[in-house]
Amino acid sequence: MKAYKLISLLLVVCFSAGLAAAEKAFQVPVETYKLKNGLKVVLSEDHTAPTAVVAVYYNIGFRIEPKDRTGFAHLFEHMMFQGSQNLGKMEFISLIQKNGGILNGSTRFDFTNYFEVVPSHKLETMLWAEADRMTGLAITQENLTNQQGVVKNEVKVNVLNQPYGGFPWLTMPQYANTNWYNAHNFYGDLEDLDAANLDDVKSFFKTYYAPNNAALVVVGDFQAADTKKWIEKYFAEIPSAEIPPLPELDEPVQKEEKKIALEDRLSNKPAISFAYHMPKRNTPEYFAMGLLDQLLIQGSDSKLYQVLVQEKGYTGQLNGGINYLGNMYNYNGPMLWMGDLIHDETIKPEVIIADVDRVIADIEKGIPQEDLDLAFVKLRSQLYGTMDSYFGVGKADLLASFALFDDKPSRINSLEEEFRKVTPELLQKTAKEYLRPTNRTILTLQPAKADSK
Amino acid sequence: MRNQILLTLLFLVIALFPAFAGKQAPPEGGRPKDFNLPAKTVKILENGLGVVLVPYGETPKVTVSAIVKTGNLHEGAQEIWLADLTAQMLREGAAGMDFQTIARKAAAMGGEVSVAVSSTETTVSASVLSEFAPEAIQLVSQVLTNPAFPESEINRLKNDLKRELNVQKSVPQSQATEKFRAMLYPDQPYGRTFPKEAMIDSYDIAKVKAFYDSNFGAGRTKVYVVGKFSPETTMKAVEQSFNSWKKGPGADYPEAKPSMKKQSAVIERAGAPQTTILLGLPVVDPANPDYISLRVANALLGGSFSSRITRNIREDKGYTYSPSGVLQPGVGTAVWYELADVTSEHTADALKEIHKEISRLQNEAPSVEELKGIQNYVAGVFVLQNSSQGGIISQLHFQDLYGLPDDYLSTYVKKVHEVTPEKTRQLVKDHIKADEMTLVMVGDKQHLPVQ
Repeated sequence: MKAYKLISLLLVVCFSAGLAAAEKAFQVPVETYKLKNGLKVVLSEDHTAPTAVVAVYYNIGFRIEPKDRTGFAHLFEHMMFQGSQNLGKMEFISLIQKNGGILNGSTRFDFTNYFEVVPSHKLETMLWAEADRMTGLAITQENLTNQQGVVKNEVKVNVLNQPYGGFPWLTMPQYANTNWYNAHNFYGDLEDLDAANLDDVKSFFKTYYAPNNAALVVVGDFQAADTKKWIEKYFAEIPSAEIPPLPELDEPVQKEEKKIALEDRLSNKPAISFAYHMPKRNTPEYFAMGLLDQLLIQGSDSKLYQVLVQEKGYTGQLNGGINYLGNMYNYNGPMLWMGDLIHDETIKPEVIIADVDRVIADIEKGIPQEDLDLAFVKLRSQLYGTMDSYFGVGKADLLASFALFDDKPSRINSLEEEFRKVTPELLQKTAKEYLRPTNRTILTLQPAKADSK
Repeated sequence: MRNQILLTLLFLVIALFPAFAGKQAPPEGGRPKDFNLPAKTVKILENGLGVVLVPYGETPKVTVSAIVKTGNLHEGAQEIWLADLTAQMLREGAAGMDFQTIARKAAAMGGEVSVAVSSTETTVSASVLSEFAPEAIQLVSQVLTNPAFPESEINRLKNDLKRELNVQKSVPQSQATEKFRAMLYPDQPYGRTFPKEAMIDSYDIAKVKAFYDSNFGAGRTKVYVVGKFSPETTMKAVEQSFNSWKKGPGADYPEAKPSMKKQSAVIERAGAPQTTILLGLPVVDPANPDYISLRVANALLGGSFSSRITRNIREDKGYTYSPSGVLQPGVGTAVWYELADVTSEHTADALKEIHKEISRLQNEAPSVEELKGIQNYVAGVFVLQNSSQGGIISQLHFQDLYGLPDDYLSTYVKKVHEVTPEKTRQLVKDHIKADEMTLVMVGDKQHLPVQ
């Protein structure tokens, strides 16, 4: 009898603990500080697996590369693997791999990142290596020429020799935006890539790759005291630099719908993409757009999926979202909310757009609380998925973005709260203001009647 | 004697070089921690359905994955992609719910019911917020075990498949893969990639139902639940949801009859700035004791960033961005291949270098240091592969699908480290033979080397 009572009590306790947990947002441990040279440091422990993520984010994206050197920010990312003071070509890569780790880097709208996931006992080795290349590069003309070849092949395999290559992730920003910084070819024209020289590499590094323009994030299985000691030891002496102010990135308010017809010699089915300028980041409307995105285009329950895929059968696959080169959190400037699909020749693009308009018009009439709740659950689940993605790199990405752009990595723990504030009225107002046809660019892609096919 | 002096001198130079250059050596790091595979609970239900539960991680999410051992390998010669159509049809209605109801139910748990088909399996899965684990299990079960196969939806799905077929056939890498597999596995399921449009036209509800009836059942299905969840209520939910499903057939795959002859093919792509090169051959299957060693050999040859072929044709010559050596497992067979999209003008050069690297490794054992680095990499990747919800499912399924022993995962790292330089050389010599290789090139003919 006594035992039985204890069990019931335990059950009650567990049950209420469960409830409390469900009400309170999932919290990620965040410790943050700044070195004297301005390097932002973020630590987040998670001892699930004996691995650690080291991520270094530089506050330089492809938007703000030199105007006569399109694609340079990305080409430069490749140069960061080509040799530093203490590690020659291929030695950085070998160092990570022979210690049981994986690595990569990428260039995005507003940052360039470099990361490693390693067995946690090799954390010090990785911190040393990242500090080494932050201290300085040792690039030869031979290595630059080699990577120009590699990057040109990257553009060919992903764009020039690929049906729908670059559609719409690379092409849409070029038409939807008017400010050069947002509207140029981020992958680079092949001639511009060829024109890059060692002086460009040196000056780019000197201008943007200083500790006071970067964030270092460590996520995973580590002890904070040791880790801080190593970070101090390897990064603290790297001199800071004067960072030029970011150029004006703002886009003017769009007043008329834009429609652009493209031809693709390599594809055999037409495609369409639509994009709307987003509300400014971190405004109440921005959070509302995050939920509208869930409601409209994320997942097979979404309103556009139900109409365009299930009801009309225009396509079997509907893509969409905020920031095709990341997510709604990891950028810092103008952004587009986009969708795209491949359809049959027999379907006119206007018909598809009319259905998109019908779905949006329906939303503008008002959104029931039930739909808002559904969008919120999806968003939370997706956010946790993002944190877990790629062995913790997803979490490091959020922390680094909030460190670089907001100087507040702990924002990772208050996002849910921000989305919770969104009301059906705000959703409706945001839809009316931003999902209007005059704020929209439509790209249509037609297979070219190529002679060679 | 003279040679010995020269060697000593060389050693000195190498040893001194860092000092001359004033270079620092990287810090070693600490002592490795033990890696233990996450603990699992396994149960077989009376109808033969396997259940594997693995509590894992801190994030409040859970993945439910029901994997049925049937896929494209069970299609007849005139039934290519019938497995895909059947899987798509599962989501269109089940247990009295239509597509929208299923989708909305899953969305309310923070997820989606997904279906996926490969040559060997059909997977129905959902990744949801932790608190919904039992409901997600029930929903996955309803879709998998109680499908309605509504007639009204099949034409739309067939049309989607035809569109998808057209798109895929315009992608150079897919064109190469189709040709490559057809040459490696002539006139058998392993060699089939794409249907004809007319084939898709011929599919109807009766064919879908027949495929489902003869290939789906508890006897060839395992349900994996990985993430944060309550083990007791979860096991109960699996039992309640799947207990009454028919046993159906056991797992059974056709026998692979690979072609081991040297052959090549060219697919014309006029004006292409790159040639897609696919070069490889059938090798031993995952059940063979050499398979893990072959993975190590592949990582050294072409399957990692610091591998020899990648160093050569990418980091030295700049011919390509995306070279990769792949060991692709199958039931009773596997394929090794190198895939690279190379600048058209350098097609012949790239091929020459790939062959050179293969033959160098066949004739000369790698250094202990080079091999050690690769072994550490393969072992490290294994730890990562067992450190995510999806990864854990995929590792456990790999062991199950290929009938590998219970200690396969727990002894994997040890086996990786047992490979010797001489063994590596011998493996490449025995398994990656130039005179048994198939070569497919997709590109502009004027740049392709004539065979």
